[in-house]
Amino acid sequence: MTDSILEVTDLSVEFATYGGRVKAVRGVSFDVKAGETLAIVGESGCGKSVTVQSLMGIIPMPPGEITGGVAKLNGKDILGLTSKEANEFRGVKIGMIFQDPMTSLNPTMTIGDQIAETLMVHRGMGKKDAFDRAVELLDKTKISEAAKRAKQYPFEFSGGMLQRAMIAQSLACNPSLLIADEPTTALDVTIQAQILELMSELQRTENMSIILITHDLAVVARMADRVAVMYAGQIVESGTVDEIFYESAHPYTLGLRAAMPSNKTTREKKLTPILGSPPDLFHPPTGCGYFARCPYAMKSCEKMLPPECLLTAESNHQSRCWLQHPDAPEVQELFQPARTQEEAPDAG
Amino acid sequence: MLAYTFKRLLAGVVTVWFIATATFIAMHSVPGDPLMNDKAVTAEIRANLEKKYGLDKSGPEQYLIFMSNMLRGDFGISFTQQNRKVNDIIRDHFPVSATLGLLAVFFAAIGGIVWGALTAIYRNRLPDIIIMFLVILGISVPSFVFAALGQLSLVKINQLLGSSVIPVAGWGTFGHMLVPSLVLGLGTMALLTRLMRSSMLEVVNEDYIKTAKAKGLSPIRIFFKHQLRNAILPVLTVLGPQIAAITTGGFVVELVFAIPGLGRYFVQAVQQLDYTVIMGTTVFYGAFLVFMVILVDIIYGFVDPRVRLQ
Repeated sequence: MTDSILEVTDLSVEFATYGGRVKAVRGVSFDVKAGETLAIVGESGCGKSVTVQSLMGIIPMPPGEITGGVAKLNGKDILGLTSKEANEFRGVKIGMIFQDPMTSLNPTMTIGDQIAETLMVHRGMGKKDAFDRAVELLDKTKISEAAKRAKQYPFEFSGGMLQRAMIAQSLACNPSLLIADEPTTALDVTIQAQILELMSELQRTENMSIILITHDLAVVARMADRVAVMYAGQIVESGTVDEIFYESAHPYTLGLRAAMPSNKTTREKKLTPILGSPPDLFHPPTGCGYFARCPYAMKSCEKMLPPECLLTAESNHQSRCWLQHPDAPEVQELFQPARTQEEAPDAG
Repeated sequence: MLAYTFKRLLAGVVTVWFIATATFIAMHSVPGDPLMNDKAVTAEIRANLEKKYGLDKSGPEQYLIFMSNMLRGDFGISFTQQNRKVNDIIRDHFPVSATLGLLAVFFAAIGGIVWGALTAIYRNRLPDIIIMFLVILGISVPSFVFAALGQLSLVKINQLLGSSVIPVAGWGTFGHMLVPSLVLGLGTMALLTRLMRSSMLEVVNEDYIKTAKAKGLSPIRIFFKHQLRNAILPVLTVLGPQIAAITTGGFVVELVFAIPGLGRYFVQAVQQLDYTVIMGTTVFYGAFLVFMVILVDIIYGFVDPRVRLQ
């Protein structure tokens, strides 16, 4: 675990609203190793964006508040810093790109100037040098005629090109970590593929880690080394991409997979949605967050929060589910290595 | 950009022609005429006067004569001020109104942007509450009240200092202009403050501000380079009509401070049905308004790149 560049432990974030306090993130822990891609998946409102935005210190505070946890970037705490302290890593060690490239760039500044700005602020470069470097960066993200394009404004770019420009901007100071907050959600499918391709290529050449926030499992399968599945402000399962897809150890992960379209989906084999809706995070449940929607829910799930447990000694596959308890009943679709293998000895 | 400017100017000319025609028709529809006054005039004298001013001709004829004279830049002579040319009236008094008006707009714009930005920074805290209270006052209290209050405080200040440091009324030096222009700009300043405030609060929540934070820029840099410029755009849009409104609508303030501006002639002319002065001042003001709106639109194009190419 020494090669982790980012370690997040027990992060909690709340928002004070007129309706009460929303507990958006409830004790999230994960780590990112050098050069790997960690995907954080989950449905809308599960807290995945809030998690990474609070790491960057860009959630509005107030109403937002980080109520607990530690986040260490290369061993240095990055939570609760002043903006001056935070600016030593923002844009330098961590770059970030956002969901909607159309609105994420300043409409009244040229693309080149916006990229150059990062370099001028962090690297102390002169205007001319910074702009030249911005052109190189645009070139690196495969924008043709970069020198001409750098002098243009965001409204003259298409969505996919804006996302490339955003990537160029986030890479300006060679960060060791790129946070991509749903980078392809606002783009159409062919452009999505190009952007993902570009990201993996740059990851290799720049040797950086990526945190990829998404709700698209196809994107996860393509990009991720490891996956964290979030639900109702908690990570319910995490592991390598193969473990998540082929040895799913949480009913929510199973539900997500069943709801994923595949080539076999036909009129006979329809998608299976997860019924119901996520719990009210004004009053989060004391037990498992997925209890109300879980087809395998047991009595103990309602009141007691399952712990995050390691499934096998050799891997880093974790799940937060009572079905992983040695005494839990067997569920055929679920990966349950810890379950006692003898068929319920006390029943016979 | 050049084609855009040209097109706007052409549309402006049409607008001014329309204003002139509408004013001409409206003016002649009003009962009475400029030759009616207290003194009894014999039919003979009246016929001579009508002949002198061309009132004996038919309406359409008068219109054609007026239009052809206007195209040559000649608005004729006043009915009520003996043999004084309307062009001279405008030339003598418009610069005074314009100076007062532009100074007022300058104060209003600077004040509106600064106060608006401040209220947005201190949103829902004491400075915001105080400024927004004053803004409501500025919008709802009519300018002659402020004019009188301004004059009264000038008197008090001069009494306190024992000498007439700032003149209470009249025209000539910068001291004469200061308080009247502040008073004149107050309503607009209040309006712009409100506009700027809501615009600032909107921009704060834009995604590109989040991007700027994630880039690691300092709050001051974000404020000036990313927030302010985008927030000023809607304020600029209303500035054009506001400039014209202030410059042409200052006659109450001009009256209170005894400033020899054009506003007084404009109002008097309507009361006395001084045909040539009405037409002259209205068309001139109309052209000025149209020109200011176009000018602001062109400036807008420089601030907002999205407007330039369209």
